[in-house]
Amino acid sequence: MRLVVTTVAAAAAFAPAGAFAVDYLTFEQAAQLIFPDADRFEAREIALDATQLQALADGGVRGRSARWTARIARHGDAVLGIVVADAVIGKFELISYAVGIDSAGAIRQIEILSYRESHGGEVRLPAWRRQFVGKTAASPLRVGDDIANISGATLSCTHLAEGVRRIVAVVALARRSGGLGE
Amino acid sequence: MRAASWRRARPLLGTLVEIGVDSATDGADVACAIEAGFARIATLQAQLSRFEPESEIARFNAASAGARIPIHDDAAVVLDAAAVLRDASAGAFDVTLGSGIWEWRVEDARVLVKLAGGVRIDLGGIAKGHAVDCAVAALVAHGATAGWVNAGGDLRAFGALALPIELRDENHGGVRPFATLADGALATSRGVAPGGELRHASVAAPTCLWADALTKIVVASGQAEHPLLARFGARGWLHSTQALAVA
Repeated sequence: MRLVVTTVAAAAAFAPAGAFAVDYLTFEQAAQLIFPDADRFEAREIALDATQLQALADGGVRGRSARWTARIARHGDAVLGIVVADAVIGKFELISYAVGIDSAGAIRQIEILSYRESHGGEVRLPAWRRQFVGKTAASPLRVGDDIANISGATLSCTHLAEGVRRIVAVVALARRSGGLGE
Repeated sequence: MRAASWRRARPLLGTLVEIGVDSATDGADVACAIEAGFARIATLQAQLSRFEPESEIARFNAASAGARIPIHDDAAVVLDAAAVLRDASAGAFDVTLGSGIWEWRVEDARVLVKLAGGVRIDLGGIAKGHAVDCAVAALVAHGATAGWVNAGGDLRAFGALALPIELRDENHGGVRPFATLADGALATSRGVAPGGELRHASVAAPTCLWADALTKIVVASGQAEHPLLARFGARGWLHSTQALAVA
């Protein structure tokens, strides 16, 4: 074990805190990881109208956003499932992720796309969030970067779990109404 | 400069688990090793989480006094360590969270015995560290030569890399540099000490199981240099929990 303490606690306590960010996968890379057998992915926008949002709410799921980016995974004529991109906000962190749901409605895999740790104030700024949510431009896996790991108290994944539940409900609702065009 | 770095993260163990591999080897092999690391953690979660109804721990919690629950090696390793720390700390380290500190025991590393009806076990303070150790072992077994596993701040680095560690400001958000870690583990924990004081501590140790568990000793005792730490080759820090003046 080799541990080098770079800053003593007293000095660190009064240094301004920095922001921290890491990109793991693009949405497209995640879709391919989740459905490796797919030979093509078709882009979809899932949009819910007010009635559908109300139906979600009646089912105990808060429909926070009314629009999601998705990809239908196909192999030949068969539909393998759908991958949906979403983002959640924690106490000091923003997490974007992709959920893969198979054609029977079961979660196949969840992949984290990116993580942003920031000052509490920045987290809730819409501009900061837009930058984060729209991040699907192709970029390679990070190579040789120096962004550090965080060691903090355990992050709450409550919001992430809620987000996944919401996506599963949204996909089920969209499928029932034929809105996915699968 | 490092070789190509691969990073993935998934929600597991009630937190975000990140696996990183620094490798010059073929990408497909690295992806396979990372998959094996996540799979190992998922298996441990199924065996050790009190929230999984079929887990060995959930079965123990649901059982009556006198029950003998067969356990696998991982539960035995974690519970053995928990018993060692419980005994050495006169009960300060308590996986029953006050429901019966001395009312459980492991026999022959195979059977978990419930000595009183009301006792319930929660391995949240120690099993995450073991899961990190196991994921590291899985990565190494699949050919990864250097990398790290980070389960929401319980992390371990292996191979020829020095991992920069940042500490989150728990009051205001943001992170600041804390240390670099090579070939070892670091865990951080925040908790309320028996007297009601909020404490925030980190422990570095050769393995993550001990780093994770020993943070609870530091939080409970308020001693960054508690004698138990030296016994397990560990080192501790208490962080300021005062409100920070700098925006």
